[in-house]
Amino acid sequence: MDQKELHALEALCIQEEPPGCQAGCPLGVNARAFVQAVGKDDLAGGRAILEKSMPLAGIVARMCEAPCEQYCKRETLGGAIAIGRLERMCIEAVPSKAKFLKLPPKSKKVAVIGAGPSSLALANDLAKKGHPIHVYHTESGPGGWLRNLTDTVLKLEVIDQELKRLESFGVKFHPVKVLDYALCTEEYDAVYIGQDDELAADLLAMIGPADGETCALDQKGWFTGGLQAEGDPYRFIMAVSQGREAAISIDRFLQGASLTASRVKPRNGKTDLFVQTKDLSELKRIEPADQAGYTREEAVEEALRCIDCQCLECVRNCVYLAEYKSYPKVYARRIYNNSAIVKGVHQANTFINSCSLCRQCEVICPNDFSMADLCLQARQQMVVEERMPPSAHWFGLEEMKSAQGESRLLSHAQDQQDSAALFYPGCQLAGIRHLQTVKLYNELCAIEPKTGIWLDCCGAPAYWSGRQEDFEIMVEGFRNDWQSMGKPRLILACSTCLKLFRDNLPEIESVSVWKLLAEQQLVKKNIGKNALALSDPCTSRDDVETQGAVRSILQQLEQPLAPLEMSGKLTECCGYGGLMAGTDPALGRKVVEARVKQTESVMLTYCAMCRDRLALTGKPVLHLLDLLYPETALEAATPAESISARRVNRRRLKQIMAERCGKDELPQRYDWENIELVISQALEIVMEERHILEDDVRRVLHDYKQSGRHIAHGSENRKLASSRIGAATFWVEFYEEGDTFHLLRCWSHRMSIHQPDTGGR
Amino acid sequence: MDLRFLPEDMNWICQPCGVPLEPGMVELHYVGNVFRVELPVCPQCRQVLIDEELALGKMLEVEKLLEDK
Ligand code: SF4
Ligand code: SF4
Ligand code: SF4
Ligand SMILES: [Zn+2]
Repeated sequence: MDQKELHALEALCIQEEPPGCQAGCPLGVNARAFVQAVGKDDLAGGRAILEKSMPLAGIVARMCEAPCEQYCKRETLGGAIAIGRLERMCIEAVPSKAKFLKLPPKSKKVAVIGAGPSSLALANDLAKKGHPIHVYHTESGPGGWLRNLTDTVLKLEVIDQELKRLESFGVKFHPVKVLDYALCTEEYDAVYIGQDDELAADLLAMIGPADGETCALDQKGWFTGGLQAEGDPYRFIMAVSQGREAAISIDRFLQGASLTASRVKPRNGKTDLFVQTKDLSELKRIEPADQAGYTREEAVEEALRCIDCQCLECVRNCVYLAEYKSYPKVYARRIYNNSAIVKGVHQANTFINSCSLCRQCEVICPNDFSMADLCLQARQQMVVEERMPPSAHWFGLEEMKSAQGESRLLSHAQDQQDSAALFYPGCQLAGIRHLQTVKLYNELCAIEPKTGIWLDCCGAPAYWSGRQEDFEIMVEGFRNDWQSMGKPRLILACSTCLKLFRDNLPEIESVSVWKLLAEQQLVKKNIGKNALALSDPCTSRDDVETQGAVRSILQQLEQPLAPLEMSGKLTECCGYGGLMAGTDPALGRKVVEARVKQTESVMLTYCAMCRDRLALTGKPVLHLLDLLYPETALEAATPAESISARRVNRRRLKQIMAERCGKDELPQRYDWENIELVISQALEIVMEERHILEDDVRRVLHDYKQSGRHIAHGSENRKLASSRIGAATFWVEFYEEGDTFHLLRCWSHRMSIHQPDTGGR
Repeated sequence: MDLRFLPEDMNWICQPCGVPLEPGMVELHYVGNVFRVELPVCPQCRQVLIDEELALGKMLEVEKLLEDK
């Protein structure tokens, strides 16, 4: 990814766009933050937010006609937030704590003719920048029409307070009889003519049309503003806004800079922020008991109606995105920066490797932002640049290797020389539900006797972990295998396998086993009639056909369904996808915990991995096969199969299927397989967490039995043995009882041990 | 970098050597990095003990750090 691609990606995520209120404020006040502060009864905080963007906040906060309210998202849900009223209440309730900073004095002088709101705003902005400002006003005093208002609207002492502040910035006020052309003398480097005050006719006659963006007049160095007519509903705030725009122009003019280059245009309410309002109900605007204004309590109540407009659609639905406490625009930069690091720690590696690649965010985002593509590409780059942490996806890859090696089987059906179809259950169904896999195969053979069997792993772990080259080699191998079987059609039970085959081997006719079964005359089984919440696997997200087939099966079985909002196209990952749980087991756990909380009902799914991941939480979860074949069904409360059992089950399945197909390719028997172990339940859980298989333990103990090499405790009956297996060294603490090994502890590490001069082990 | 990782319980006997483990220097290697570390070692056959606490504590931490470098 280069800078340009990063910017294009960042632009897709519109979370940083302003909410309607801020976009609709001519001064760009962060009204969302202000209203939120008031909602928390933090009026001092609220005032500070106003003072950040408002010139003369004491006046503006009382006087603003709040054009922002036109753009408030609450408008159609009980009425816009009364932002104007809230501002007035806040500014009256708490004193200013702001320290106004002034830049060092500059030399070029500015004349301000007229002292209406636009002039005062301009004087404020320019004086803060250090420009010497001379304001000419009529004898009634600075403020123009503001001085004629009743006390309930604006007290004179408020005006005078702000004027004092202006004077403290060095603004000089000069009373004159008339505001005429004679004031615009040569000694000034720039002139502002505030038309929201009583100007003399000779001066008025000199004012031509002003530039809409810069407020510049034809005369060089002349600017104007305050053009609103008396009846204008936004007369005050638009004048202030023009004063501010003219101040920007004058500052640029005095520095000899372009008046227009990269100038931020007022938004006039325009924003690309997406705000979901579908779950919001109407809340009526709070009317103040006293028309003069809100009490503090009323203000807080009114502010609490604020929606706190944000997009965050993807973050709200994805535990992973929420975990890292930001949103995709920020994440994109984080990932970009992570790739750019040459020396130093790649802080975002775990972040990149934890996305489940489930693509829910893509569907939810109004701009289809894809965290999955972002993370997958970053992983691929890490692999190519040889900086992918070897431990990140280690266990998933080991599982794949085992399923593609010792547990692989490819065979025509018994007594058949060719295959019309091949059943591809996938490594997870094979490992988690091997007996149901046999049952399913028998059913398929009843439909089409020439159905062969293909036990394998589709290579998802290689693909998910960014090992694209390895994955492509696997795909090539799959193509050859399929050709060697006479190019039959493939019947797949796993959504992930199905998706990877369809995406990478489109020449193969791949169909979901559920689609095939849905087309059969299914006999209605006597199953429970409680509604089940159907959780589609995330890799079925775009597979409308398979999702529909599953629902059609359930209809035929007369199985009622409970609603589950995030399903079908919006479905969620079980935390296994993308090898999330391998990289960050705790996060994977949070994902399933959040998922099962979405329904009170017993859940149902048609992916073996989903079923076991969801069941980790203790939630009752069924697999579709439990409904289809009650004779091999497991209870919904059945705990998840352990990683050790899955390995063993795959080997067993291979043996059963090889025998069933008359193939003398029995799985290899290992010397260590018969070692007898006693493992406490507590240790089983520890082994599961640490990804230590009973196979690993048996291998260590077998090595020990062969060599006698170990470390014995000096006074207690316990021994330690260790072996290097693949990329890790496994340690086992045990005691023996006859031929049985009682396990006490086990652990592993990846570092290898070497003797300082001699070789290692 | 020289580190010391001796478990509290040093009462371990190497078998079949039959001699107690003693503190000794060994090298730990990971993703191209090498550390010299003091660990319980058999003075005769150089068999090394990596304690559970070390493997899952400091060692794991360093492994992760090196992987992200
Ligand atoms: S859904 Fe997420 S990625 Fe899309 S715009 Fe909103 S915050 Fe950004
Ligand atoms: S609901 Fe709140 S954040 Fe949204 S536009 Fe209105 S005031 Fe602003
Ligand atoms: S886990 Fe799924 S929804 Fe969340 S960021 Fe990754 S692909 Fe998107
Ligand atoms: Zn020894």
